[in-house]
Amino acid sequence: MKLHYYPGCTLKEKATALDISTREAMKRLDIELVEPEGWTCCGAEYPLTEEKIVGLAAPIRVLRQVREEGGDVVVTTCSFCYAVLKRANKAIQEDPLKHKRINAYLRDDIKINERTKERTTGFDDYNGEVKVLHLLEYLRDRVGFPNVQSRLKRDLKGLPIAPYYGCRLLRPQEELGLDEPDNPHLFEEFLEAVGCRAVDYPFKQECCGSYVSVSLPAAATEASYRVLRSARMNGAKAITVTCPLCFYNMDHRQDAIKETFLDFPGLPVLFFTQLLAWALGVDKKLLGLGEHSVPADHLFSESPTTEVRS
Amino acid sequence: MTAKTTSKTKDKRIGLFVCHCGINIASIVDVEKVAEVMKDYPGVNFSTDYVYMCSDPGQQMIIDTIKKKHLDGIIVAACSPTLHEKTFQEAARLAGLNPYQIEIANIREQDSWVHTDKAKATKKAIKIVKSHVAKALQNENLEPIKVDVTKRALVIGGGISGLQAALDIADHGYEVILVEKNPSIGGKMIQLSETFPTLDCSQCILTPKMVEVSRHPRIKLLTYHEVDSVSGFVGNFKVRIRKKPRYVDETLCNLCGECEKVCPQIVPDEFNMGLSFRKAIYMPFPQAIPGTYTLDAEHCLGLNPVRCGKCKDVCQKKAIDYDMKETIIEEEVGAIVVATGYDLYTMQALGEYGGEKYEDVVNGLEFERILSASGPTGGAVRRPSDGKVPKSIVFVQCSGSRDTEKHNPYCSKICCMYTAKHAMLYKHRVPDGQATVFYIDVRTGGKGFDEFYQRAVEEDKILYIRGKVSKIFKEGDKLIVWGVDTLTGKKVEVEADMVVLAMAMVKADGVMDLLRKLKVSTDIHGFLAEAHPKLRPVESLSAGFYLAGCAHGPKDIPEAVAQASAAAAKVGDLFAQKELVHEPTVVPVNDELCSGCGICIAVCPYGARSLDPERGVAVVNEILCEGCGACAAACPSGAAQQRNQTDNQIFSMLTAMLRE
Repeated sequence: MKLHYYPGCTLKEKATALDISTREAMKRLDIELVEPEGWTCCGAEYPLTEEKIVGLAAPIRVLRQVREEGGDVVVTTCSFCYAVLKRANKAIQEDPLKHKRINAYLRDDIKINERTKERTTGFDDYNGEVKVLHLLEYLRDRVGFPNVQSRLKRDLKGLPIAPYYGCRLLRPQEELGLDEPDNPHLFEEFLEAVGCRAVDYPFKQECCGSYVSVSLPAAATEASYRVLRSARMNGAKAITVTCPLCFYNMDHRQDAIKETFLDFPGLPVLFFTQLLAWALGVDKKLLGLGEHSVPADHLFSESPTTEVRS
Repeated sequence: MTAKTTSKTKDKRIGLFVCHCGINIASIVDVEKVAEVMKDYPGVNFSTDYVYMCSDPGQQMIIDTIKKKHLDGIIVAACSPTLHEKTFQEAARLAGLNPYQIEIANIREQDSWVHTDKAKATKKAIKIVKSHVAKALQNENLEPIKVDVTKRALVIGGGISGLQAALDIADHGYEVILVEKNPSIGGKMIQLSETFPTLDCSQCILTPKMVEVSRHPRIKLLTYHEVDSVSGFVGNFKVRIRKKPRYVDETLCNLCGECEKVCPQIVPDEFNMGLSFRKAIYMPFPQAIPGTYTLDAEHCLGLNPVRCGKCKDVCQKKAIDYDMKETIIEEEVGAIVVATGYDLYTMQALGEYGGEKYEDVVNGLEFERILSASGPTGGAVRRPSDGKVPKSIVFVQCSGSRDTEKHNPYCSKICCMYTAKHAMLYKHRVPDGQATVFYIDVRTGGKGFDEFYQRAVEEDKILYIRGKVSKIFKEGDKLIVWGVDTLTGKKVEVEADMVVLAMAMVKADGVMDLLRKLKVSTDIHGFLAEAHPKLRPVESLSAGFYLAGCAHGPKDIPEAVAQASAAAAKVGDLFAQKELVHEPTVVPVNDELCSGCGICIAVCPYGARSLDPERGVAVVNEILCEGCGACAAACPSGAAQQRNQTDNQIFSMLTAMLRE
């Protein structure tokens, strides 16, 4: 089956491992991912500022394109894209002023006919028809974790992995409603489904430092350090993330963390889709492990028990 | 308007009295003008104004004028009828006029207090008065409805409030039935260690009252019973009470305890908040009243001698009977005191505090048990996880209270004081321990309360940090508490061995079912609603129901006791009357017009209306009818007409008001 998939810009640049592993994993689940034609950046945080309605133009254009292509669901893996698309969608559904102004602004976008290459203008109003789902949510609600489990090809033998939610996957709950922000369990359920053991640790919803890594790197270093340290102390062999920015702060900047906090021996950082793809039998070379600053290869070794089952 | 009403109203003589209410009305409404304009209005025979109609001379003027002018209807244009309608009805009665010929035209709350333009307000006052003339012309003489009163009271709940109310009513000389759903009376107070601000032992001051209740000749104590249904009305309630099977005959049980020794089933002990264990056959606590064992059928292996039967075998008194069945008792009472108590907000609701996850994060009642001499640790402060003496405890006030966004917006009122008490008792037992309290404000309104708090801070060196806690988690052996100090504006991190959450007080678990059966109203939080927040604080809006204790809202022991005594006094007021009188402005049924559709029955909030199956028409129990008018508005055929507020009267009022 075909499924609309919005990768977002980071997945084409800094976090290609997330993109590749997602595609490979979904192939194994017989799902063909389709990117909406001509998608742009979702706008990251900017569309969500209250005052500037125009910021919503980018995410709404993406969603409208999905609708124009006949899709009623779009899946994302990046937490930021997820939050932005979902919240923008909700704003259009619930705020008549935003609905009116954005649609007025986007109505005259140029439409190109695929076949005739004829250029016309004029779109129907976008009313929030497309449902925005995070891949974890899609796997839980549409595919079903038991169905994922039945397709597993490798046994991860209860590898202890720390799920890391960060901020954008859970909050604001009233708008995202993905999971309970103070006691989430979606990520844990996912990890258990693919054969890992979810490590419980108190920092799974704490901030990684986010954009502060640009303006005040020391603060982000400390924030990420606390998360990594807590995961490690509780027995995790790696930490999994959904967000490219979390990955950047915790993986690419782990050298800085180790230099600042000498007691910290390091911890591999994985995208959740890498574990999914691996468990589904995807070849190690297609997991994008070369992108990691902290080596994670050893977690994906073909020991006799983890061999691909036919 | 039908010919009949006009002919009847033609010769009615109406008097109008316009009140200045000092300047409350007179500064915005030209009262002289109102009186002047209305002088010649059809039906009005007399019109005047006066500075305070409710004063003695004002009332005397009304009495004299009724007599002199032979008035048979009067209108007082003054404040809201909720304030002085009774006053003027009484004046009318003294003048020999039927009190239901009095009309109050509200030109204060609905006019002078809400307007600023004098000319318009005066015009509006005239319209209001005119509409009441139209109504007064059609008012009929009514007589109050009278009914007998059963001089026995039912008290629901055997906590401190219920006990106090039962004792007071019984001491007034009336019989009381006290129903408690648990095996013993005592409520939450019996679980407390020591009470603020005097630090006297809670059990020591409560058990004498419990004994007194059990021995009182006029109190019928029904523990392990629940109210099943209530019907009837004030003065004449019929109550069905469900007796839950105890499986132990309390008259035979001699508390030898042999049954408990042999019982193989181990269950978390409710009395100790699950911090210790009891058997399936148990006595809740040593001073329990009645002094008897109770067999908890839910946890028993099956009430079946084939499966277990050990307790029955060892009971020499033959007190254990597995065949006991639930029975229903019926009682008649005249008044009901609702003292159903409270529960604590659940720890699940505050996921970030980890109360569900970490054994050493406890709520206030659990800590009471830890501090109590009769508790699981014998009063030594030990933490639940490993029994170690905690060297640092963090207390979090307002856990789930005063949070308008996610939890309960109200203040739970007692937590500031009991947290100070907890911290103080902890310091007395672990002098080298560190007690830290996070607070939003410290509220110590009460006799000796602030002095107590000051003592906690100054003598016992308890550290108070003004700010909220964001998260509690475990790192190794320690609990880490993240919070903010809003006085310095800094984030704080405190390591603790144990955390005590002062959880919000909420409505008692499962109480809504009972309250629906009683048909007493609650506020949005499920606490009982009082009839008037200031002037009738212990009565429910439903006649015959009285409120006591935390079922009505968070309160401390002295307040709960005071309210219970006040409720008992109100029950005494009711029982002191030979017969009850009820407002006659009810909504009867015109049998000829009623089609028996039942709409009025569905809309009646007081259960006053029912269908007569034989005649196929609605009938009304006039004692239950509160005259709200919901049925009159809903009735499609006009069969439901409220006395002195008929459809004709309402239309006449509208016509008078809208005619220009």
